Amino acid sequence: MGNELRLEELRAIFLSAPESTSTRVLAALLSLALVVIVLALVRRRVLREEYTPIWLMVAFGIALLSLFNPLLTWLTRALGAWTPSSAIFFLGQVFLVAICLNYAVRLSGLVLQVKNLSQEVAILRALHEARESAPGSPPKSLE
Amino acid sequence: MTRIVIIPAYQEAQRVGQVVEQIRSALPDFQIVVVDDGSSDATSQVAKEAKARVLRHPFNLGYGAALQTGYKYALRCNASLLVQMDADGQHDPADAHTLIEPVERGELDIVIGSRFLGLGDYQMGALRSSGRRFFQALLASLGLRISDPTSGYQALSRAALVFHSADDFPSDYPDVDVLLAAHRSGLRIGERPVTMRESPRVSSLHSGFAPLFYVYKMLLSLWATSTRPRKS
Repeated sequence: MGNELRLEELRAIFLSAPESTSTRVLAALLSLALVVIVLALVRRRVLREEYTPIWLMVAFGIALLSLFNPLLTWLTRALGAWTPSSAIFFLGQVFLVAICLNYAVRLSGLVLQVKNLSQEVAILRALHEARESAPGSPPKSLE
Repeated sequence: MTRIVIIPAYQEAQRVGQVVEQIRSALPDFQIVVVDDGSSDATSQVAKEAKARVLRHPFNLGYGAALQTGYKYALRCNASLLVQMDADGQHDPADAHTLIEPVERGELDIVIGSRFLGLGDYQMGALRSSGRRFFQALLASLGLRISDPTSGYQALSRAALVFHSADDFPSDYPDVDVLLAAHRSGLRIGERPVTMRESPRVSSLHSGFAPLFYVYKMLLSLWATSTRPRKS
């Protein structure tokens, strides 16, 4: 019983301890850097606009949590974590898994499209060659 | 109606010409189509010199994708029947008629040339043989009895071509999973005995981790196929 009380007290100390200013500034700068990088990639046509919302939302989320400490404390309590850094680490892992799965789904669709296009190219090329070899009268079987 | 033989080929410049000639002798009324799956050797050129129609993928897509290109082409040509054979000379074109007849009579949609129905003495390694028996038993438990589910020597009706031209046809190895899906869609599947020679080349499927991945993929695919709603 005594041990449990001490653990709860310890957890309360962890949660009430403010994040250091340097950590918060670093996180805020990181979010700003992420926004700048995303915009630069779009400008250089390396990243398509439709893929930017997720990364801008991540940058916004990091900025929000670094600037408003009570929000991070609330989130840490809600997740049942002991320290804010654990909560952020957990959310980061969830995000990475989700985005990898999302890309795997998109990749599967692209593979299918590439296969269909390549097959179409092969068929059209053969039909074209058949017509060229018999100008004016394409083979009956290819009509 | 056109009848077509398709030969998926990858790096088969050494053998494809001879295979095309043999098929022409056995099946003179068939249009012979070689699907070159992005070979870097002279496969396409040799096939053209042998007077075959050549469909050439711009790059390597896989055995299943090459077959499907042939199916799509056959549909475009309004084909009523298609025979598929490998380019390595493993399949004897003289056996094709036994596969074609049930399709032409309208009795079956997919006729598989089986190595294990009494003709010839095809030898399979212990590992491959046990794998074949395992999938054979699994397929039987799902309602389809086939002695040679991995045979690439098949005759297909137009209905089977339409079914196999769908987007869910695998690009790598269309084997037991495809047969089960076809069976569940109502296509009639049967087998006829054929003689088959040992392939002169070592398949990439039988080296490294490929067999393990094959088993994993087939099990997943069989599970997915058997739990999906039936499509017709």
